[in-house]
Amino acid sequence: MVLAIIGTITFLIVVLLVFILGTLFVKGLPAFHAGFLFEESRDFGLSGGIFYQAVGTLILMATAVLWSLPVALGSVLFQTEYLSGKFKTFLTQLTYILNATPTILFGLVGYLFFGVYLDIGVSWVTGSLILAVMILPTLQVSFREAVEALPEKYREAGMALGLSRPSQIRRIILPQCFYGMVTGVLLGLARAAGETAAIMFTATTFFGIQLPQSFSDPVPTLQTHILVLAQEAANPESMAQAWGAGLVLLGLVFILTLTAWAFRTRMVMESEQ
Amino acid sequence: MKVALEKDFRRGLSGIRNLDPVGWVFAAMNLIFLICAVGLGGFLLVESVPVMRSEGLAGFWLGENWWVGETFGALPMICGSLIVTGLAVSLVLPVALSGALFTSEYLVPSFRRRVKGVMELLAGVPGIIYGLLGVSFLTVGIKDVLNLLDGNTLFTAGCLLAIMILPTVLTLSEDALHSVPAEFREAAQGLGLTKLQTAWRVVLPQSLPGIAGAVLLGVGRAMGETIAVMLVIGSLDKVPGFNIFVSGQTIPSKLGREAAEALGSGLHWSALMGLGLTLFLMVAVLTFSGNIFSRWRSR
Repeated sequence: MVLAIIGTITFLIVVLLVFILGTLFVKGLPAFHAGFLFEESRDFGLSGGIFYQAVGTLILMATAVLWSLPVALGSVLFQTEYLSGKFKTFLTQLTYILNATPTILFGLVGYLFFGVYLDIGVSWVTGSLILAVMILPTLQVSFREAVEALPEKYREAGMALGLSRPSQIRRIILPQCFYGMVTGVLLGLARAAGETAAIMFTATTFFGIQLPQSFSDPVPTLQTHILVLAQEAANPESMAQAWGAGLVLLGLVFILTLTAWAFRTRMVMESEQ
Repeated sequence: MKVALEKDFRRGLSGIRNLDPVGWVFAAMNLIFLICAVGLGGFLLVESVPVMRSEGLAGFWLGENWWVGETFGALPMICGSLIVTGLAVSLVLPVALSGALFTSEYLVPSFRRRVKGVMELLAGVPGIIYGLLGVSFLTVGIKDVLNLLDGNTLFTAGCLLAIMILPTVLTLSEDALHSVPAEFREAAQGLGLTKLQTAWRVVLPQSLPGIAGAVLLGVGRAMGETIAVMLVIGSLDKVPGFNIFVSGQTIPSKLGREAAEALGSGLHWSALMGLGLTLFLMVAVLTFSGNIFSRWRSR
């Protein structure tokens, strides 16, 4: 009896989630006319494509990872190779706290620091810096996982060969953890791609700008595009475009996540050899 | 105690004493990380001082009116956040637990892996997508079914958040259930317990801390979600009382609505930072207790 109930609930959960994905496809696909991905949007997003929005999202997430990668890599290697004890535990805890922080707070504080104090204003640079701080924990967790999964004997072999710490890092740890790092970068990209709250008032604009011409220009992004269009729920044209853009965004996030997993499996296989 | 701590701290830092050039670069990167993390909390604290000074701590947290230019009271937003999050958790808890129990104890391994994969993929769906689903289905559905004038209610937001955190809570609770050692199950079956009794009496109590951790993580995510909530909650700054079928406001949705108007300066901005600080503290408490639970599990 109980079994039947929890079985049914599980089944309903699966149905619900399939329904969500299915809806997105059913509603999103009609928006895909020829060149939906490669045309600029017209009539305040009501017709045309989403080319510049997609480019904007790509710019933001790519630059965010560019800022975040060296910091994440350096701090993780410092924590795992040079530190031990309470300070290391404290830094690990800090990563988790940063990871749980609501994303809009990154937007608020990030705008104040980068936008106002460093005087960059509402621009794609501000946005990418904010996203960089936001995805820092994602990258760090993946990197740390990869470094800590490294078998102890590799390090011992390195030490026995008399490698100094820098060359041990360069010759052993970095090459062995390569796949883990790719996983982290891809997951970070996926997280940056899905983020709206942190960038909606700090880096993006809805309509009128195509590509940023300077460092102080905002960009249009898929996320803001969907957000603005979704607020006109009564207008079918607007919703159709929003669904189309939503499908593209979700596809992007899913592809990144799945690729990340493929690399993670590879990493696990390598460390088990 | 203090001496031991200091010793531990020094031993921990012993790697720094003769640092190579590469180490200095890494240390600098670590410093940047530290500054980012501490700076986030520090900025929220410092920037919310003006509003706390003009309203007073109690005045800010218990004030019922948010009139820009006159008075800033955060109670409607705090209440809204608590109600919406509480609603989401009470909706998601029974469903996610049943799902996790079934997936962990009854599904064959190949099926289990597939369910987990889908759940983990869905846990990464951006909030804006849920917002889109919310405005097109949930608000209309709730309006029609419950015969309300407006579908943008606290209840709608709670339901949407429940759907949103369901995959996360389910897959993490399933991890906790699955990590109970097989010997426990074998011992229970050796005592003649049925599979259901084993799951209910042995596996579930054993994995309770892990499940609590999973739920708290989900709660944290629900509490901080901006976009999905902002689109369906109706944005009405009023203390909702006991009626959840009215429009309301949560802290993140308020921040999302007004941050663009107040950008960067003035008491209004400071008030928003004060709201941000409140949210940060609420989520930090959740994360902290979640970590305590998961450490308890690993012992």
